[in-house]
Amino acid sequence: MADPTSDFFERLGQPGARRLGNVTASIRIDLDRGKATEHWLLAIDKGNISVSRKNTKADAALHTDKEIFDRLARGEASPLASMLRGLVQAEGDTELIVLFQGLFPAPHNPLSRQASADMKSQPA
Amino acid sequence: MSENLVNALDGNTFVVSDRRGDIVASPTDTTGLFSFDTRFLSKWVLTVDGQRLSPLSVNDLQYFETRFFLVPGTGTIYVNATLSVVRQRAVGNGFHEELTILNHDEKPVDLRVRIDAGSDFADIFEIKDAVGKKGKYYRRIDKQKLVLGYERETFRRETTISSSAPTQLDEDGLSFSLKIGPHSSWTTDLAVVTALAGREEEHDKPKYGRAARMARPNMAHSLEKWLEEAPSLVSDWEPLHTTYRRSLVDLAALRFTLPIGRGASLPAAGLPWFMAIFGRDSILTSLQALPFAPELAATTIRALGAWQGTRVDDFRDEDPGRIVHEIRAGETAAFEEQPHSPYYGNADATPLYVVLLDEYERWSGDSVLVRDREPQARAALAWIEEYADLQGNGYISYQRRNEETGLENQCWKDSWDSISYRDGRLPGFPRATCELQGYAYDAKIRGARLARTVWKDPEYADQLERQAADLKRRFNSDFWIEDGQYYALALDGDGSQVDALSSNIGHLLWSGIVDKSKAEAVARHLMGPQLFSGWGVRTLADGEARFNPVGYHTGAVWPFDNAFIAWGLRRYGFKAEAARIAAGILDAADYFSGRLPEAFAGYDRAFTVYPVEYPTACSPQAWSTGTPLLLLRTMLGLEPLGEHLVVEPALPRAIGLLALLNVPGRWGTIDVFGRGGVREEPKTRLRPQLSDGNQ
Repeated sequence: MADPTSDFFERLGQPGARRLGNVTASIRIDLDRGKATEHWLLAIDKGNISVSRKNTKADAALHTDKEIFDRLARGEASPLASMLRGLVQAEGDTELIVLFQGLFPAPHNPLSRQASADMKSQPA
Repeated sequence: MSENLVNALDGNTFVVSDRRGDIVASPTDTTGLFSFDTRFLSKWVLTVDGQRLSPLSVNDLQYFETRFFLVPGTGTIYVNATLSVVRQRAVGNGFHEELTILNHDEKPVDLRVRIDAGSDFADIFEIKDAVGKKGKYYRRIDKQKLVLGYERETFRRETTISSSAPTQLDEDGLSFSLKIGPHSSWTTDLAVVTALAGREEEHDKPKYGRAARMARPNMAHSLEKWLEEAPSLVSDWEPLHTTYRRSLVDLAALRFTLPIGRGASLPAAGLPWFMAIFGRDSILTSLQALPFAPELAATTIRALGAWQGTRVDDFRDEDPGRIVHEIRAGETAAFEEQPHSPYYGNADATPLYVVLLDEYERWSGDSVLVRDREPQARAALAWIEEYADLQGNGYISYQRRNEETGLENQCWKDSWDSISYRDGRLPGFPRATCELQGYAYDAKIRGARLARTVWKDPEYADQLERQAADLKRRFNSDFWIEDGQYYALALDGDGSQVDALSSNIGHLLWSGIVDKSKAEAVARHLMGPQLFSGWGVRTLADGEARFNPVGYHTGAVWPFDNAFIAWGLRRYGFKAEAARIAAGILDAADYFSGRLPEAFAGYDRAFTVYPVEYPTACSPQAWSTGTPLLLLRTMLGLEPLGEHLVVEPALPRAIGLLALLNVPGRWGTIDVFGRGGVREEPKTRLRPQLSDGNQ
């Protein structure tokens, strides 16, 4: 079975992937899978992201259910709306959290034009 | 806001109550305790022996602190009070209220004191429209605290109320059975704490404690420090001191303290509807305040840079590189009934972001922040080319993709009828308003300067300058109305001119897109009787079909608009004209006790004598609050040049002396002086003020 969360992180770690401003910092994502918790760690060096599965202290952290993160990773939900609804908890450096939410694909709401987004070039 | 209401605010939390300190909100009015766009208290009523109280006086101690002096009994009969009640309230993470009852009698007194509390947890958007709630309410008493809550799926908002003195709690409030001795008093500390359950912003106590006993925490944000750090004003025109102080105090109140800014703050838009992040408002206010409080610009650059668009999302009108328009935290945003999570539907904040970045560097010399934001600046400049040119004609234009809840007009004049032809018809979409092209030009010129001096990319600088020169050339031909000798308000969906005469042409001067040969004609229009009311430049010229002196964007005078126009006039050397606008707006400020409203009516000054407030104007409002600051800058002719600050004063004639001491910048701090007024026309005065504005 495809795992949208793994796919999402894999894309972030690829060469030529999106950068995160000029930031040097770390973000940890904790995903609740019932009995176990899945961890992902983004180490960001001047905007370049590398991904690992370490569970270490980070400058910012996000906590949510795996299921909810899957939806975000597929572009089925909005990160900020999810946070406002209490579905996703954040702690630490808010600027990092805000930058990170920009990495999710566009929500597939009825108005979404993801197709045209994919055709357009990414910003520098 | 009606006069018998009292506001106190701290960042995005504010309380609006009556003069007794009570809150009795209806679904459609704006009293209550608000935080994160949600009403956390809609009822907060104090009674003594079952009776409401009467106010003797209300003092605003700080922008976040109010003291109410009350006596028992209501109505018009004289109350021989042997009791006094004092409520002292400090807003922040909810509020803290110190309630004191003094017995002035020789005998002890038994009292039943009661506070009724309740909350409808209305989203600020619902209050405008009075929409029914979809979730459920709950109340509980938990460890000597009364918890009022609202829940819709996982969305939860809670208000927790507690008292330091022993109290009997029930689900509707707090009761106290007291015996107060002769000439004695009783007091309690009431804590009302707002919580976005499950969020980091949860607090267990209010931000400020007891005034008398507790030092104010968070001194970095204290009003005293804020005022102390701002330049000192010296002037022989007394009302200017009041206006200046009012501006600084209001700006302090409107600061939105963001976790993202690491404790720093950026200006929120204004009470009561716009206490949230607004891209455009934050940028323009930060620009106005640069010579006075440059840290606002730094936070705005950081916060808006972080929220910059990354994807194409039609519901939010988001594009990569686009700067955010509005962020809300209420229920309607959370459930995507409104698009503010965040909403990106504006066409000006993106170029203005680059303008702010450059202007900030020129003042502060903070090249670290500006170097760090190179990706954001490049993405913003790329947005102009790749996403904003909806008609493929080389101009920024706008058309909402969210047809249901998106904004029709995505420029600062955002009401439905703001953009019209002379004959009153409304143009089709997309619309390319003229000032957007000016901002784009300015962004490219300034982006080029940053590319050359900070980012060290001379090729990119050359490219931006070529684009800017080309844009300026085309603009001066396509937008110029030869017959009228002014620039069209916009190009319509067909690329034809929308020919109304408007204040927008003043912004073009500020941006520098106006050909030198055309500047005098533009200035003449701005100061002519159709646009200039005597107080300021009207949004739309008298004589246009849709002109209405109390039309929000179709005739009213907006102070902030005028401040930028004055800046533009100075840029093109029209010193007397800039001084005249400064004089008119500052005169108006005097009538509003130093607090300029968002807009006031565009009646001719000779007709009304005093400025007439626009019926539902926001006040205080951030960019009106910033207006006197920018006018001080334009009157003194302050321009950073390299490591120096150029001063070239041109004062209205009634000001003999104007000085700012300790203006901060890359030069450290510097004192600037201006003497003697420029001559404005005409010479007669209606009142001994700065100008009369007669034609």
